[in-house]
Amino acid sequence: MGILKFIFAFVISSSLFARPVSYPGGLTVMSASDDMKDSVYVHYSPTYKYSFGIEVISDKHFKNDYSYGRFTYLANRKNTIHSQRNLYLQAGISTSEIDDFFYGINGDWETRRVFTGFEYKKTNTVNETYSSKMVQLGFAPYLGDYGDLHTWIMVKLKRNSLSNSTSIFPFLKFFRNETLIEFGYNKTDWDIHFMHRF
Amino acid sequence: MKYILLMLYFLTSLSFASDSHDKNHHDSHDKSHHEYTNHGEHEFYASDGRKTNIDKSIINEISNEVKNGQIALVNVKGMVCDFCARGISKTFKKDKNVKKVSVDLKNGKVYIAYDNEKKIEFEDIKEKMLENGIDAVDVEIFKI
Repeated sequence: MGILKFIFAFVISSSLFARPVSYPGGLTVMSASDDMKDSVYVHYSPTYKYSFGIEVISDKHFKNDYSYGRFTYLANRKNTIHSQRNLYLQAGISTSEIDDFFYGINGDWETRRVFTGFEYKKTNTVNETYSSKMVQLGFAPYLGDYGDLHTWIMVKLKRNSLSNSTSIFPFLKFFRNETLIEFGYNKTDWDIHFMHRF
Repeated sequence: MKYILLMLYFLTSLSFASDSHDKNHHDSHDKSHHEYTNHGEHEFYASDGRKTNIDKSIINEISNEVKNGQIALVNVKGMVCDFCARGISKTFKKDKNVKKVSVDLKNGKVYIAYDNEKKIEFEDIKEKMLENGIDAVDVEIFKI
């Protein structure tokens, strides 16, 4: 991967862990780069229950560029003193083609020490219909206080029916204040995510 | 696709209805509002003489910046990461009576320093926490 491409991937990135809904009035910029696409996703959350935004994608598999209007809804949240569980519904529709859309579900359960998450997403294009699945697990090697740098050691398992392949990405996640960065690598591909909340 | 969007719209509407319902039921749950006073440099006691469990370093940090104010110590559920706490801090800082917000992630506590003019209401705090998807359990109030 050339340095310019790496920088592009670093700066431009969507993350499941980086919550798809922000705090009320929060504007979030996410970028992601993996073996299937590079993307930039900007969303706004009027309440903590939902967000809407635009995702611009450079598709590596179909070798084309397109964008989605996206909507995410927090269907369920369960808070305890030491944990939080979330279940989200998501959908998006192409800004140029009505028959190009996706929908899916994702969720997470986390404590300050442990994180688990999953995603199932079905995408329909004019030519193909495919699905992608993902689970991730992680733990925090230390517990930071408010405002500290927080670090997570994680592993992500991804399967995509388009490429009919399963890949495992060990990755590191760092976040501090309003910024989050993830780096994953599986010998052939990078999986990089960036997020900042305003 | 239309059905999916309609479903999302329907669920969103339900969410607003649910939030409104929650707010209407706050009044019946304000059982944990205690008044505390500072009886020493680092000791905090409830009005009935019980010593309360607080992070004195946070209290001292607040006391250094806020004089003659009051602190609402809020126990919360669901505040498991820094991002959750960011939203809480931003929401409370919109209140002109709030002088400082400190977060104790480890113990699930939020310290909100107000000026003395503010009449602290647990319902107001609970509502603001809920706006961020966090559940406020109770509040203890200290004079500083």
